[in-house]
Amino acid sequence: MQILERVQDLPNAGNIKAQWVCLWSGPAVGLVLLIAAAAFPGFWPPMSPTLPAEEVARFYAEHTAWIRFGQVTFNLCGILVVPFFMVIVVQMKRMRGQSHVFAYCYLTAVVSGATFFALSNVFFLVAAFRPDRSPDLIQLLNDLAWIVFIAPIGMLLSQFVLLALAVRFDNGPDPVFPPWVGWYSLATGVAIVPSAAAAVFQTGPLAWDGLLSFWVRNGALAAFVVVMFFVLRRAVLRQAIADGVVAG
Amino acid sequence: MSPVRALTPDGYVTTADGRPAGKPDVRIMTWFFPLWYGLFGIIICLLARVTPPPRPDVSTADKVAFFSQNGLTIQLGFVVLLVLLGGAAMTNGLVAYQMKRMSTGSVLAYGYLAGMSVGALPGFLLVGVCFLTATLRPDRDPELIGLLYDLGMLSYNASLGCFTAAYLVLAIAVLYDRNNIFPKWFAYISVWQIVTEVIASQMVVFYSGPFAWNGSISFWVAVVVFSVWLGALIVILRNAAAAEPADEPDMD
Amino acid sequence: MGKVTVQQPDTETVAVPDGRLPGDVHMWVMVLGDLIVFSSYFLIYLIYRSMDPESFLRAQQHLDINIGSINTVVLLTSSLFVARSVLSARAGAHRQAIGFVYAAGGCGVLFMVLKGYEWAAKISAGHTNSDMFFSFYYVITGVHLVHVLIGLIVLGVVVRELQNPGRRRTWMVETGATYWHMVDLLWVIIFGLLYVMR
Repeated sequence: MQILERVQDLPNAGNIKAQWVCLWSGPAVGLVLLIAAAAFPGFWPPMSPTLPAEEVARFYAEHTAWIRFGQVTFNLCGILVVPFFMVIVVQMKRMRGQSHVFAYCYLTAVVSGATFFALSNVFFLVAAFRPDRSPDLIQLLNDLAWIVFIAPIGMLLSQFVLLALAVRFDNGPDPVFPPWVGWYSLATGVAIVPSAAAAVFQTGPLAWDGLLSFWVRNGALAAFVVVMFFVLRRAVLRQAIADGVVAG
Repeated sequence: MSPVRALTPDGYVTTADGRPAGKPDVRIMTWFFPLWYGLFGIIICLLARVTPPPRPDVSTADKVAFFSQNGLTIQLGFVVLLVLLGGAAMTNGLVAYQMKRMSTGSVLAYGYLAGMSVGALPGFLLVGVCFLTATLRPDRDPELIGLLYDLGMLSYNASLGCFTAAYLVLAIAVLYDRNNIFPKWFAYISVWQIVTEVIASQMVVFYSGPFAWNGSISFWVAVVVFSVWLGALIVILRNAAAAEPADEPDMD
Repeated sequence: MGKVTVQQPDTETVAVPDGRLPGDVHMWVMVLGDLIVFSSYFLIYLIYRSMDPESFLRAQQHLDINIGSINTVVLLTSSLFVARSVLSARAGAHRQAIGFVYAAGGCGVLFMVLKGYEWAAKISAGHTNSDMFFSFYYVITGVHLVHVLIGLIVLGVVVRELQNPGRRRTWMVETGATYWHMVDLLWVIIFGLLYVMR
């Protein structure tokens, strides 16, 4: 994207540049997080809730280095995906037929949803910190980590519902997002709802290592980021052209 | 101007000849910023004793002793902090406000807001509640007290990504900004903050030495860089508030 | 130092140094501050080394001084390219300047590849950060690597600047060069401290 020379220093150009950087941070950070997830031993396969305390402690003792590497990377880079979602907030503020209330609610939901992820990292790291801790306590920390990682999907659900509402309300001559984005957002929200049951079930698809709570939930979230990257890229480019920042 | 007047918001943000400058609400928040951080510093250093942090390489019995020796000041400090913690929302919001005035606009300001807000829970509140829980029942099973000690310390010191994200968007905004709200060198200081945060991630591996959570590199160098950053930010916020025209239109 | 031409009374033009600091003053703040922060890490390294010289020496034997030397030459060459690009930019030869910046960037990429290979070799040989010397090694070279990565972004910004006919501000090129020279200087010190000093 080449910004026109004569508007380089104007606020419109600054806005577009900032959005562009945040947009591209999405794939960059996403790649790092994917590598960290591939390296984290607890995902391959996802640790079972039925593991007895001694097994959990042994798992942490045997894979300490890679557990720490994976979780430190999640810790350092996980919240770096938030600026990508801030581009969604800013684009929601451009939508017609509505005030900015959905956008600010969305911002709030992103913050709280991200907080859960940051908290789960801390629990994993403390579980891996002293392998000679009592196995019952390591299992306690592991339970906390997994439940906080998988189950609290309420804030994420709000995000998807709010985006769907905003797209629905956007009745301008040139909607920011195409209508299917609203339905896709809603579908993603539906896909992650069952994960809340991971706090209760120890076996089956609803357990935190199960098909629905782990694979469908995390797959849907990752897919959403990938799909929204292309949607946002188009939206930011169209905004840049409309604002006269880029030749169009 | 009398020293007493200088301590008020109107006396803190002024033009060269002492008249209050900028917008009145921004003046109040700008004046509140160093006030709150000063109180916060007193609490975490002198009362709650989490800065500098107690050692990771101590036995469970030592951890129990830490809580029983410092129980009173820990409880006093953190209870006061529970009342004052809302000040973090104000300090973060003020920086986000100034970032919105930059030519890069809202997206990076929201990113800063989001990053710092995420950090408030695992990186700031959790140690408070962990330590308060530990001091609530001193005769609890020592293993459990040891757990609360580790959980509090690691969450407080090793919650790094949220702040890294906030400082990164801050640095990008300052570098891209054409309105010169903050000086460009502040972006570089923010980058140092990021570097020290990334290095500090080593603390999850070590119980002693320079990279432990109380080590010379993970802690002391990081604290020096943070103090420089915070001191610079206090001065910069004051200058930015004073330079803002009182009739500048409110932003969207 | 930049040079400016001055008209003497008899219309004789003379080039005199104009006392201007090359590049951006903000970048110099960054460079000096960065050097101070790195110096504190070097100092701490030296203190810990003095407390346990034998185990540090033993660990250092596992560092390959050849790859370290190659990396040093690579970065010094890249600094040479960057300096040439500044001279070209000042003389108005923008295509040449861009070429030199690309060459410097290429050296930077080569440095990172060699460093990555070195790390992989050390980790697979079992030298992880459980050893005090190697934990210093990974942290110091890791932070330096991040600086090289940032340096590549800075060089990219310089190329964009030079390609843009409306800009081509010399001070931008000088600013980028200042940063890159700092990265090179840091590596030379790191090489001396970690690889050579035994």
